Amino acid sequence: MDTVPVVELENLKVRLGRREILHGITCRLGVSGTGKAVGLLGPNGAGKSTLILTLLGFLRPSAGRALILGRDCRRHGGEARSRIGYMPENDSFIGDMSAVTFLRQMAELSGLPPEAALEKAHEVLFHVGLGEARYRELRTYSLGMKQMAKLAQAIVHGPELVVLDEPTNGLDPAARRRMLRLVAEMKKEQGMNLIVCSHLLGDIEQVCDEVVIMKDGLIVHHCNLEEERRSNKCFVELEVTGDDGQLRAALPEIGADGVSEGGGRWRIVLPPGVEVDALWALVARQNLLVRKLTHRRDTLEEIFLKAMGHLAATPVEAAASSEAQGRPL
Amino acid sequence: MAVYKRGYRRYQGPLTGRWARFMVLPRYAWRRLYQQRLVLMLTLLAMVWPVLCAGFVYLTNHVELLQGLDPDFRRFIQVDATFFSYFMYVQGGFAVFLAALAGPGLIAPDLANNTLPLYFSRSFSRWDYGLARLAVLVGMLSIVTWVPGLLLFGFQVALAGGWWFRMNWTLGAGMVAGFVLWLLVLSLVAMASSAYVKWRVVAAGVSLAFFFLLSGIAEMIDNVFRVTWGHVLDPAWAVNRVWCALLQVEAPEGPGATASATALGVMIVLLVLVIERKLRPVEVVS
Repeated sequence: MDTVPVVELENLKVRLGRREILHGITCRLGVSGTGKAVGLLGPNGAGKSTLILTLLGFLRPSAGRALILGRDCRRHGGEARSRIGYMPENDSFIGDMSAVTFLRQMAELSGLPPEAALEKAHEVLFHVGLGEARYRELRTYSLGMKQMAKLAQAIVHGPELVVLDEPTNGLDPAARRRMLRLVAEMKKEQGMNLIVCSHLLGDIEQVCDEVVIMKDGLIVHHCNLEEERRSNKCFVELEVTGDDGQLRAALPEIGADGVSEGGGRWRIVLPPGVEVDALWALVARQNLLVRKLTHRRDTLEEIFLKAMGHLAATPVEAAASSEAQGRPL
Repeated sequence: MAVYKRGYRRYQGPLTGRWARFMVLPRYAWRRLYQQRLVLMLTLLAMVWPVLCAGFVYLTNHVELLQGLDPDFRRFIQVDATFFSYFMYVQGGFAVFLAALAGPGLIAPDLANNTLPLYFSRSFSRWDYGLARLAVLVGMLSIVTWVPGLLLFGFQVALAGGWWFRMNWTLGAGMVAGFVLWLLVLSLVAMASSAYVKWRVVAAGVSLAFFFLLSGIAEMIDNVFRVTWGHVLDPAWAVNRVWCALLQVEAPEGPGATASATALGVMIVLLVLVIERKLRPVEVVS
């Protein structure tokens, strides 16, 4: 069966004024109708918001094209947007309107008949926990309630794809947990596809299945978090004293890979099935004295920092990355 | 089952058509506007003159009621182009104030509350939005301008008979066309001031000042250069000149109807461009 990606970018370039913000991005993200979430990560100015605004048809690509749910964002923008829900990062609502009226209006704008729009407005407000406050004017809402109201307007018309821009911004821990639970439910129970843009790695890790890391208008890393989790790699931070010149060559003996950070400090990746004991034994054979050894599973933070260049990639990863980008090491 | 017990389910029913979606914003805006007492009062006040005019039409068509009046006066009171031109001046004036009162509350809150991205992230384009907001004002002002005008015209036809319609149908058509042109100018001025000025009171002031300012500039140009073409810069004068041509009544001295209509056309295009610049989901800072 032919699968339609949620987002398909072909050499997408976007200019704002004279500055080129996105420098020819090509990728396919997610699969439509699967109820999966794609996380968009990157530092400020990486081009995440520009990408989202281009996908929504707010910005015109200067070259290339962007398809969302199989539709061209510019040529069939209206059709594409009718299947999308958007939760913007900043406050966006009509302050002197009650939540239920606001949501009803938004639902009607999305094409719901008035009676169905009213019913869905009530339903979704209870769903996000604003049921008791649904007749209050939106300007009287707290920050957390406003975030929930924004989420409610994004899903009131039952879209196939929901774009969430910083959904947990300004939320206290309890509200953040609630928001993430709602987002996870949206994909699991309603089968909605999600694009989540956030600075918070924990949020992305918790709700997303796929992650795209952007830097300087380019996609620097694209990984499937499910596969990463399944691969179950173990990362070891090792600090030794003695002559460690031969350690790198010896690591493949146990199927491991590593990189020296100088001063006896190493970052080593153990493949699935290889225990830390094997590393202890290898280090002993090299006549090295272990001063420190910590091990943990791979986290999104690790992936993110590597993509940003704050952590050196192991030789195997660097080779794989170079191969993927089609250029020599 | 009660809504709060049901839980959220994606809507998968039928969707409304493009026209129904387009009318969502006007429907909500009219509801909110007519909840304002001042708007309601001004609308009701604007109905007084059409009611008086209807009384006048009734009187002129009932000769028996005019028996005791002076013959010269009886000749003077007639339902003709001059009658409709007076009707239009008064209702056109009410329309100015109503537009200044209602217009600022349309776009400014959407810009201040950053609501445009929510509208445009649906299948609702910038043009749809602009036209929907225009429809709010044009619809509202129509109630006090060409709609009562057309009713008045119909009342006269009903009382006078078909011959009067055959002789004067151009009056009805001219009145509707003249009002539509005026409403377009008024609505776009109100929308432009609403798009650029955040505070409602100031936006209303700007909307009114636009007409007084241009009138002053037109007068200044005429006096300084000893010309008459400066009048075309005054939208009120220009529209009056077009009305005179449409109703075929005596026109004031100055540029012709074509020049005035062209000036109004240019003004409308410029206002559309000014509004278009502001109605963007995101502001790009170069």
